[in-house]
Amino acid sequence: MSDFKFGLVHAPVTPFVNGRVDLAGYASVLDFHLAAGAQGLALPMHAGESVSLTVAERQALLEFALKHVGRRVPVIANASEAGTAIAASLASHAGKAGAAAVIATVPYYWTPPQHMLVEHFMAIGDAAKLPLFVLNSPAEMNEVEIASKSVVDLLERLPNMAGLIDLSLDWQYMIEVITVARATRPDFQLVSGTEYMISAAAVGATGLLSPLASIAPKLISNLYALCTAEKFTEARPAQEQAAILYRAFRDTGIAGFKTGMRAMGRDCGPPRPPLAALTDADSKVLLAELVTAGTLNSEPRGWL
Amino acid sequence: MTLVLKGVMQSPVTPLKDDFSPDYATFEKLVDFHVRTGATAISWPHHKAESHNLTIPERKKLAEVAIKTVAKRVPISIHVSALALEDTYDLARHAQKADADAIIAITPYFWKYPPQSIYDYFVDLGTSIDLPLIAYNSPSYLDGIEFTGELTARLIQRLPNLVGMKEASFNSEKFFEILRAALPLRPSFAMIAGVEYLLPSVSLGGAGSYSSAGAICPNLCVELYESCANGKWDRARELQYKLSQLWLIFRDQYPSSLKGGCVIMGRPVGPTSPPLPTASPERVKFIEKQLDSLGILDSEPHGW
Repeated sequence: MSDFKFGLVHAPVTPFVNGRVDLAGYASVLDFHLAAGAQGLALPMHAGESVSLTVAERQALLEFALKHVGRRVPVIANASEAGTAIAASLASHAGKAGAAAVIATVPYYWTPPQHMLVEHFMAIGDAAKLPLFVLNSPAEMNEVEIASKSVVDLLERLPNMAGLIDLSLDWQYMIEVITVARATRPDFQLVSGTEYMISAAAVGATGLLSPLASIAPKLISNLYALCTAEKFTEARPAQEQAAILYRAFRDTGIAGFKTGMRAMGRDCGPPRPPLAALTDADSKVLLAELVTAGTLNSEPRGWL
Repeated sequence: MTLVLKGVMQSPVTPLKDDFSPDYATFEKLVDFHVRTGATAISWPHHKAESHNLTIPERKKLAEVAIKTVAKRVPISIHVSALALEDTYDLARHAQKADADAIIAITPYFWKYPPQSIYDYFVDLGTSIDLPLIAYNSPSYLDGIEFTGELTARLIQRLPNLVGMKEASFNSEKFFEILRAALPLRPSFAMIAGVEYLLPSVSLGGAGSYSSAGAICPNLCVELYESCANGKWDRARELQYKLSQLWLIFRDQYPSSLKGGCVIMGRPVGPTSPPLPTASPERVKFIEKQLDSLGILDSEPHGW
């Protein structure tokens, strides 16, 4: 299991028509990412509105993607949930359906102690029987952080514990985790869950999970290639463009992604409630940032 | 002298006698030690120098000793932050009179205020003296009060003497947002990591760092910077992991454990002043074991 390498993984959006998942549209989304250089797909992540999908919808989406993508690239399933049993059942389904790996955040809503986080991830990993990547994003998850000690516990107890995806952007945390984790298991993978790839790659991250690849896949491929080649100075202009986009989409969230997709000629409909589409004023601000970052001129339009 | 802020800059601790009064003779030895072991600049008294626990007259006298000991071999900046801003302005005027090369100041302590108040304060401080000014950003210690890219850009446009920033968020996004706002306006603006997280900051365009561990392992600090500056990333990772482990030991009740470590290195600097604890003999033993396992005892100078 440890031979699975994360690489440059895109996190696609989920298209909706009249509030229903649009599977025909999803086929176009998946083909677009493959044509645009994704080495893997993770779905449905937050960028794919995972939290707004029912368990049945998530499973249907995954099965559809696995069938459509076939053997072209690995498909990684998101098994994040609030309850441990439900998360484990998603993970079990992912394993049986043929996913290449699973991703799990800390539980939604709750703020369990570290030993319960370890139990949560153990249950998911045991059920999936696939490489497990835990996702650390304290700003999104009530400041619950996966302690480095918990990462070590998982590496010691769970043979398929493969790595950690970090969204904290915190140098102290990333270096602490990679230091203790690699001491336990040298093949431990640190993955950047944001497009701040320079610092992450410098400290040892080898993978990138990118939501922005839906909007600017050329930029993200370029940034990832330069960073994995450790050409950090050359990567700085790309990092700067990615930073402009990161900030613009952090401020506008999923609604921003949906507006951005339409602007790039890849309409995926509006976000699902409770999220609302951007107002015209906010859309204007976002599109101006796409101009500033050079995205509208340099990135592919339409479905490829 | 032209002020160049680059590489690993040392901010000495304040040696104290058993009655917690300043130990001026040892302070001279320590400052001299830093200059002789590769410090590219000296800055005193940062929080690790227990700045808050010294009286204003003590701070002035120690500043004079530091400036005299450095004797223009490298630039020296004086940290002028105090709880009451009146004291800060007084310390800034004193630093100029005492022939410091720059001052450094953090956002005001304790109170909550909008960005405009930070702007007004730094304009007042920067125009009150005829010295270069270094801003100091530490959002996690000051409960979210922080410099943004926008605020930094406004201050650079207003203050010709704002030459750099000590940035202690250890966060890729925060560091890079400020850097990319500042450099187009002032290409010489020095982004300095709060402690020696050199690998994730220099790769991102940072100029260097202030140091936590320079009194313990100056060779390690200097080699890490050189490795980053020369693109020797594998070696840099090895050294950064080591220095980060040291930071995790020193960070809690800073600088208590750091001062404990100085005893082991044959450079005793006395106790830490209350309310901070002084490292117990057991703690010193623990630190010694850690330093030994990291190879510091063999690779670094012992004694003065």
